[in-house]
Amino acid sequence: MNNLTSRQRKTAWFVAILVLLIPVVLLGMPAGNTGSDSGGVLSDLRAEHDLGESKLGQIDPTSATMNLLLLGLRGVAVNVLRMDLDDYKDRKDWAQMQATTEAVITLQPHYIEVWRFLGWNLSYNVSAEWDSVPERYYWVKEGGKFLQRGEKRNNRVPELKWEAGRTWGHKIGRSDEWKQFRRFFVSDPDTKRFKGEGDREINPAGTMDNYLVAKSWFVRSNAAEKEKDQHIMMRELFRSYPAKSQIEYADALQREGKFEGVTVAAWQEAFVDWTTQFGKEEIHTFNDCKIFLEANEDDVAQMARNSKVTESVIKRELVFYQNTSNYLHWRLLCLAEKEEEMGLAHRLLFEGEQLYDQAEHEKARASLLMGLQKFEEILGRDQFRPLRAEDNLVEEIMWGIMLWRQTYLILRLPVPATFPLKELWDQNQGRLPNLQSRFNHL
Amino acid sequence: MTIQPADFDLAAGLLQWGKAMLSVISIFLGVALVAAVTASGKKGLFTVLDGLIRTVRDFASLSPRRVLAISRLTFKEAVRRKALLVFVVFAVLFMFASWFLTGESHRPGAQMKVYVTFVLTAVSWLVLPVMLLLSCWGLPEDIRLRSLHTVVTKPVRRNEVVLGRILGFSAVGTLILVVMSVTGFVWVQRQVSDETDLTCRVPVYGELSFLDRLGVPTEKGVNVGDIIETRSFIEGGTNATAIWKFPIASQPDELRLESRFEAFRTWKGDMEQTLRVQFSLVNEATGLKVPLPNTVNIAEFSTNEVIVNKTLTYKDNITGKDVTVDVYQDLTTDGTLQIHVQCLDRNQYLGMSQGDFFIRLADRSFATGYFKAVAGIWLLIMLVVILSVTASCFVKGPVASLLVFSLIIIGQFFHPFMAKILNENPEEKLKGGGTFESIYRLVRHMNETTALPEGFLTNTIKAVDGALVNCLWLVQHIIPDLSTFKMAPYVASGFDIPWNGSMLPAIVITLGYVIPCLLIGYFSLSLRELEAK
Repeated sequence: MNNLTSRQRKTAWFVAILVLLIPVVLLGMPAGNTGSDSGGVLSDLRAEHDLGESKLGQIDPTSATMNLLLLGLRGVAVNVLRMDLDDYKDRKDWAQMQATTEAVITLQPHYIEVWRFLGWNLSYNVSAEWDSVPERYYWVKEGGKFLQRGEKRNNRVPELKWEAGRTWGHKIGRSDEWKQFRRFFVSDPDTKRFKGEGDREINPAGTMDNYLVAKSWFVRSNAAEKEKDQHIMMRELFRSYPAKSQIEYADALQREGKFEGVTVAAWQEAFVDWTTQFGKEEIHTFNDCKIFLEANEDDVAQMARNSKVTESVIKRELVFYQNTSNYLHWRLLCLAEKEEEMGLAHRLLFEGEQLYDQAEHEKARASLLMGLQKFEEILGRDQFRPLRAEDNLVEEIMWGIMLWRQTYLILRLPVPATFPLKELWDQNQGRLPNLQSRFNHL
Repeated sequence: MTIQPADFDLAAGLLQWGKAMLSVISIFLGVALVAAVTASGKKGLFTVLDGLIRTVRDFASLSPRRVLAISRLTFKEAVRRKALLVFVVFAVLFMFASWFLTGESHRPGAQMKVYVTFVLTAVSWLVLPVMLLLSCWGLPEDIRLRSLHTVVTKPVRRNEVVLGRILGFSAVGTLILVVMSVTGFVWVQRQVSDETDLTCRVPVYGELSFLDRLGVPTEKGVNVGDIIETRSFIEGGTNATAIWKFPIASQPDELRLESRFEAFRTWKGDMEQTLRVQFSLVNEATGLKVPLPNTVNIAEFSTNEVIVNKTLTYKDNITGKDVTVDVYQDLTTDGTLQIHVQCLDRNQYLGMSQGDFFIRLADRSFATGYFKAVAGIWLLIMLVVILSVTASCFVKGPVASLLVFSLIIIGQFFHPFMAKILNENPEEKLKGGGTFESIYRLVRHMNETTALPEGFLTNTIKAVDGALVNCLWLVQHIIPDLSTFKMAPYVASGFDIPWNGSMLPAIVITLGYVIPCLLIGYFSLSLRELEAK
C-alpha cells in the first residue's frame, strides 16, 4: 500500500466504498410508497414481520427523529411523559393531556397497547368528565380518531381495528347518552364545520349509522385476524363482532322507535350475517376438530369425517362452542325479529307508551293490549318459546304490561285479573322495582 | 399552572436580598482578613484594606466607553463564532412546525394554545443553550488563546471586562431574541384561523369563601373525589354558595364577569342541558341581594361571560315591585363588590377555585401579552448570561457550562421539590424525617409515624439531617426560581401577564443577581492567574 501513489490510494478507497455500498443498498434500501417497488432485504423482512414502517411514505419524520435523538432513552422519556399525562388528567388540563398523548405516541408508534389504552382513555375517561353532551361526543370522537390513526400506522394489527369498531359501536351506541351520540354521529353538533352531516373522518359517508360503521371496522379486523392473531378475547367471540354489530344496529333502530320496514330488513340481514357468515366460520377446536356453528345433521357427519372423529364428538364440540358464543339464542332472536309481526308488536307497545306520555290513556291501553296480544301469539309458537327468557324482550313486555295496568289505575278502574302474557308477568315480579323506578322518572 | 399567581412582596424581597448581601460581604471580608493576617501578620490588614480601596476605585471610575468597547468586541467575537447560525435551526423549525402541530381535529382555541406555547418554548430553548455556551466559553477561550492579555494590559479594569462581556453577550442574545420573537409572532398570526380570537384578557381576581348547604360559612366546599383538589364544589338546589369579593377600582358602564366552572353530576338529570348557575350581587353592609336576571348554563373548561349593566332591575320579593339599583352606589361596599354563585340543579355539584371567576377588564392586544412573555425570556437570557460570565471568571469553559446548566435545571424544575422538603407547615411537612432518618427507618422497618428511640443515635441523626436541611435552605435561596420567568402559559391561555405576580419578580430576580455576580466576577478575574491556560 505504501508503494501506491496518493491518487492510487484514493482510487482504491473509492472502489472499496463502492463495493461495500452494494451490499448496504441491497440490504437496507427502503421500499417505495407505491407498494409495487420492493425494497432491500431488511425492508422485505420488516414488511414480512411487520416490524415498522418499511415503506418510505409511512415514515413519520418527527417520530423517527425523536427516537434517534433520544438514543437509548426512549423508555425513560416515555415514562416521564406518561407521568405528565396522568398529572394533566388529574388536573383536568385536557389540551396539555392530549398534546402529551401525541408526544407519547410519537415515541412509541408501534406499541399497540399504548394506542389502545390512550384511545380508550380519551373516549371513555376524558369524555365522561364533561357536562355537555356535545363536548362528551367530541372527546369520544377524539379517542376513536386516535385509534384510527393507530390503525393506519399499524395496519396489520387486528386489535386496533377492533378497538375502533368498539368505539363507534359500543361507546356511541351504548352510553348513557346513546340517543344524542347516535344523532350526532350522522349530524355532528359542530354544524359550522360539518354542515349538518357526520364527521367524515369517522363516518366516511357522512350519514351512515354508527353500528354499520362499527361493523365495517369489525369486518376489517376479522380480515386482519386471518393474517395475524389477536390477543383480546377467544377467537370465536372476536369473529362474531360484525354480525353482532348488525344485530345491535337493528336493535338500536327498535330502541329509537323505528319498526317494520328498515328495521325488519336490518334483522333479516342480521340473521343472514349470523347464520351464513359467523355461522359458517371454520373453528379449530381445542380437540383438533374443524367445525362451524350453523350445522345440520349432514354437516355434522361431514365434519366428523373431515376431522376423523365420531359424530358424537363433533356434537359435543358444537354444543360447547355454540354455548360459548350464545349462538342459538342470537339466531333465534334474529329469526323472530325478522318477522313483520314482531315489528308490529314492538310498534304497538312503543306507540302505547307514547300515548300514555300524552295522557291519552284509553288509546294507550288499546295499543298496549294489541301489542301484548301480538307478543303472546308470537311467543306462544313452540319455535319462539325460549325467547320468553330473553332479557330485553321480557323487560319490554313487562314495561308494556305495567303501563297497561297504569291506564286502569290512573282512572281508578279495577285492573282485569287476566291479560296477555300474565304468566310471564307473574314469573318476573323480581324486575318490578327497577321498572317502578323507571316509571317514577316518567 | 395557576393563572392567578400570588403577588410578589417587593419590600420583603429587597430586605431579604439586603440581608443576604450583607451576610455574604461580611463573611467574605472576615475570611479575607483572617487569611491575610495569618499569612502576612499586620501587613495583611493593609493588603485587605488596599484591595477594598482598589475595588471601590475600580467601580467608581467605571468607564462606559471602555465597557462599550469590550461589549462591541464580545459581540463581534460571538458573531465570528457563528452564534447566529442558530437562525438556520430556527428557520427549519418554523418551516415545518405546522406540519406536526396542526391536529385536524384540534379546536381552534386549543390549537392556538399549542402554537403560542410552541413558539415561546422553541425561542427560549434555542436561545438559552447558545447564550449559555457562548458566555461560558468566551473568557476561558480568551485566556487560553491569550487574547485577553491584549485587553488587560491596556487600562481596562477587571470589572469593566466582566461588565463588558455581560453586555456584549446580552446584546447578542437580545438580537437573536428580537428576530426570533418577531418572526414567531408573525408565524402565530398566520397560523391561527379566522375563527380563533387571539386575546389578552386582563382579569381582576377576587377572594373566595363558601357557605355550606345549610348556609353556614365554611372553609371550602365539597370534594367530589378529585385526586388533585383544585376545585371545591357546592351542592345545587341548597343554600351552598360560593362568595367572591372583588375590588372595584373603576366604574365602567358594564361589568364583564367571566367564569370557568366545572360540573359534577350525581345523577344523569337533564342530559341535553348543562348545569344552571345563578349569580347574585350582594351588599354585605345592607344585606341587599340582587339576582342577575338570567341564569347561566355553564360551558365547562371554557369561558362563560356574563355582562352586568351599571343599573339593574329586580323584583322585590316582599313588595312584588320592580326595583332599580346602581351596582356601584347600592351594591358596592368600601370598594368591594360581593358576588354569590349558586347551582340551581338539585343533587348536582358545581366546582370552582379562586381563579375560575373574575371581572374582565378591557382586553389588551395579543401583541402586548406575547411581547411581555418575550420580555420574560429576555430576562432569563440576561440572568443566564450573568451567571455564565461570572462562572467563566473562575472556572474553565466546560466546567462553567456544566455549572450554569445545573443551576438552570435546578432553578427550573427543583424549586417546588426543595420547597416541599423545607416546608415547616405541620400539615404539609413531609413525614419520616430527613435523609438519614429515612434510611434508619427503612433499615429498622419503622413506619414514618413511629417515634424514634431516645438516645445518642437519634440525636446524631437529627443533627445531621438538620445540617443537611440548612444546606438545602441555602441552596434554595441562592439558586433562582426560574419558573417565575415562564410566562408562556398566560399568553397561551389568552391572559395578560400579571405585573405583580410574574413580571416584577422576574425583573427583581434578574437585577438581584447583577451586583453579586459582578463582584464575584471582578474578584475572581482579579485573583485568577491569567497565564494558566
